[in-house]
Amino acid sequence: MIKRFIARNAPGYIFLSPWLLGFFLLALGPILASLYLSFTKYDMVSDPRWVGFANYEYMFTRDRRFWKALEVTFTYVALAVPARLIMALSVAMLLDKGLRTIGLYRAIFYLPSLLGASIAIAILWRQLFEQNGVVNQVLAVFGIEGLAWITNPDTSLYTLVILAMWQFGSPMLIFLAGLRGIPRDLYEAAEIDGTPKWRQFTRITLPLLAPVIFFNLVLQTIESFKTFSSAFIISNGTGAPADSLLFFTVYLFNEAFKFFRMGYASALAWVLLLIIGAFTAIAFLTSKYWVHYENERD
Amino acid sequence: MAGLTLRNVGKRYGALSIIKGLNLDIHDGEFLVLVGPSGCGKSTLLRMIAGLEDITDGTVAIGNRIVNDLPASKRELSMVFQSYALYPHMTVAKNLAFGLQNFKMPKAEMERRVAEAARILQIEKLMDRKPRQLSGGQKQRVAIGRAIVREPQLFLFDEPLSNLDAELRVQMRAELASLYARLGTTMIYVTHDQVEAMTMASRIVVLRAGKIEQVGTPQELYTRPQNLFVAGFIGSPKINMLQAKVDRASGEAVATVPGLPAFSLPTLPSADDGLTLCVRPGAVHIGAGEVMTQGTIRLVEYLGNESLLHIALSSGQVLLVSDNGKTSYRSGETISIGFDRSDLHYFDAAGQRVEPIQNESRLQ
Amino acid sequence: MLTSCALQRDRRERNGRILKHVFLIGVSVVMLYPLFWLLASSFKPENEIFGSLTLWPSSFQVENYTKGWTALPMSFTTFYINSAIVTVLSVIGNLISCSFAAYAFSRLQFTGRSFFFALMMMTLMIPYHVVLIPQYVQFLKLGWVDTYLPLVVPRFLASEAFFIFLMVQFFRQLPRELDEAAMIDGCSPFKIYWAIILPLSLPAMGTAAIFSLIWTWEDFLAPLIYLNDIKNYTVPLALRLFLDQEGQSAYGQMFAMSVLSLVPVVIFFVLFQKLIVRGIATSGMK
Repeated sequence: MIKRFIARNAPGYIFLSPWLLGFFLLALGPILASLYLSFTKYDMVSDPRWVGFANYEYMFTRDRRFWKALEVTFTYVALAVPARLIMALSVAMLLDKGLRTIGLYRAIFYLPSLLGASIAIAILWRQLFEQNGVVNQVLAVFGIEGLAWITNPDTSLYTLVILAMWQFGSPMLIFLAGLRGIPRDLYEAAEIDGTPKWRQFTRITLPLLAPVIFFNLVLQTIESFKTFSSAFIISNGTGAPADSLLFFTVYLFNEAFKFFRMGYASALAWVLLLIIGAFTAIAFLTSKYWVHYENERD
Repeated sequence: MAGLTLRNVGKRYGALSIIKGLNLDIHDGEFLVLVGPSGCGKSTLLRMIAGLEDITDGTVAIGNRIVNDLPASKRELSMVFQSYALYPHMTVAKNLAFGLQNFKMPKAEMERRVAEAARILQIEKLMDRKPRQLSGGQKQRVAIGRAIVREPQLFLFDEPLSNLDAELRVQMRAELASLYARLGTTMIYVTHDQVEAMTMASRIVVLRAGKIEQVGTPQELYTRPQNLFVAGFIGSPKINMLQAKVDRASGEAVATVPGLPAFSLPTLPSADDGLTLCVRPGAVHIGAGEVMTQGTIRLVEYLGNESLLHIALSSGQVLLVSDNGKTSYRSGETISIGFDRSDLHYFDAAGQRVEPIQNESRLQ
Repeated sequence: MLTSCALQRDRRERNGRILKHVFLIGVSVVMLYPLFWLLASSFKPENEIFGSLTLWPSSFQVENYTKGWTALPMSFTTFYINSAIVTVLSVIGNLISCSFAAYAFSRLQFTGRSFFFALMMMTLMIPYHVVLIPQYVQFLKLGWVDTYLPLVVPRFLASEAFFIFLMVQFFRQLPRELDEAAMIDGCSPFKIYWAIILPLSLPAMGTAAIFSLIWTWEDFLAPLIYLNDIKNYTVPLALRLFLDQEGQSAYGQMFAMSVLSLVPVVIFFVLFQKLIVRGIATSGMK
């Protein structure tokens, strides 16, 4: 009996073993370790010292930069995710119907997403929005006087939102695949019934695309919370100007690897994990009210 | 070559029981067909024999060896799948040789067997093609070829013909039969198509809901179905079933069937008040028979060599009647039909066959 | 009547199409302009980079490239070699470990499979920042800091669950009868993986390889933390050094090196566009 059990399970676990090892050593272990560290003061020189909830207490009651980081990150997520998704959906719908050259457009629109994570693009972005950068020169053509977008704390975050918008390629591809999945005859039937285009969009496209929209929304939200490289480069690694680019990840990085407040940084990490977890959970829990899968009935 | 012994074989998924305590002896060199409606467990049973499904209860033995814990790769059997399951990335030749390579066969022997199989199945010209370049029938041949190169002790077929069109199916059926005649290896063949079962089997196992309903040769199943299910399942067009009330008041058993005149029954070893009488469409004659009645033709299905008449009795029940097709009938016509009592199959209230007691019926 | 009506509709449709093209071309220009600007600036003399919208340089400054290549304390040859080592090893690690896990999840039966699959999907959500600190402490203790081990070893342990997911999606589409036929043909689970599943999954493996390659090539955070000595730097870290010496305003050189860092990505994109697009569409990530 035991022998048979082992024989049946052995192949699966052998193939899974690299992942299992990785899961325990690189995911579960570190997550638990960082939970422990979040209750300590730890500078990597001396051993971690247990401080109870002191890190969290300080974070929530006295640490203004923590609240600033939350504000910056949430503002960014709230602006960047809808901007990117609306852009992606509109372009996908334009591309979906009746164009033969779709491949070329698709490639052009996707390229920024692929390059987007690279440092070169972050460097480029910084220069585009400089006082004498390209953006201001374009504005000057229309007689508008530009600002120093990056160094002005009121506008710096928007340059990153625009960067996010520029990278709408992947959700666009997913939307395109989703739109392909909607049967043409639904539109034809609606056309015959004389349904106006707008109603076709709200009554056919949106409901049938709901699972894809949901999927993109969850993914993009998680991704946006994780934004790091571009914010780090554009803010010179500090979150400047005036902490207006103090993304949560940037703050965490600095606490950990600049000031070596590993305990406090771990507490920050756990807050980030809980925030992302909560968003994911909310999305999944509410999804049944607004996402209807086509094959639900069978 | 080997026979196969199933003892109390069962398959459970949690509380759900798919196969319920089967006992079956499959003889060496026999062409055994497992037949039954979908969901009866026939494919599961085949896959348990193959080693693709766990055996949760009982034992399966190939030859004298119990194989319950032996993985599929070590059972020395071949299987032909409904979807053919040819390896899409290998040529036909590689598809055939793949299994032999796994068993570390010397190259010369391997080539001999592959060439032999290709010759038997007439696929020599296809050897360098990939499966996607083959037609359905060709894929089927390659799948069979892959099974025979192994020269296994046992062949398993899982509805191998059901993806083919009707004409090819008939042709492949004949070829499989002749392949069996040539190899003489034990074959177990699963199908839901009773025509396939009847035409190819040495013996048929009729399964329903994980249980064996009857095991026997095609003739036994057709002429002496053990229960109503088998009677209804085997034979095309489908057997006619009549509900009869039995009146024994006069000392002699008299059957009353709505729409038919009352007629006396032979002596039956059953005291049930209700019987089911079955008669094959071919045994109902137009204008002749011991028991006769009138009926209205509802539908005529002309098939060339025969006509299938749907005839409504006065009770409303419709009988299928197979006629030789030489006379043309129109629907709406009223005709007289009849059958002989010797052509009737009798089933008791539990649906089990009851056999008339021959001697006594002769005495009367 | 009917034909004129149809004609009218045709014309309307054609106008709509032209309008769409005009709009899409407009968007394309906006999308591509920054990239062309970067390319153009990399050839421009220092004083032309800012203050002009013209893309065409008055004279092509190839020195931006030649000087930029050696502008940092180490030459970019070193950085490219470093990046190539990390990338190649990471891609190999990802392909092996993730296809193993995906094979187990999609084709093998074992107790706890759905539980572990759910765990795997949850790790997709976990931000790298959360595991970063304990991992760093651990790697520091192992003496791995300032080596490529912290960047590469996790890849051999299937740390990028995204690729597992991508491969599972693909493997699941392969008919199960193939495994069964192979089993009956005497294959062990490993042989099925090697001789059946892998050869049939080349598109998925290709997609995974390309994404893995591009992401590792662009990766910034992990090298930033684990690599200290400039001789170990990867290309993104090197690019950042340009920013630190901004005062010297070697913009042309910085842009030239930025362009070069994007070249491998663009080449792979052009060559393998189909695989990339299909990979995104089926897995739907990033």
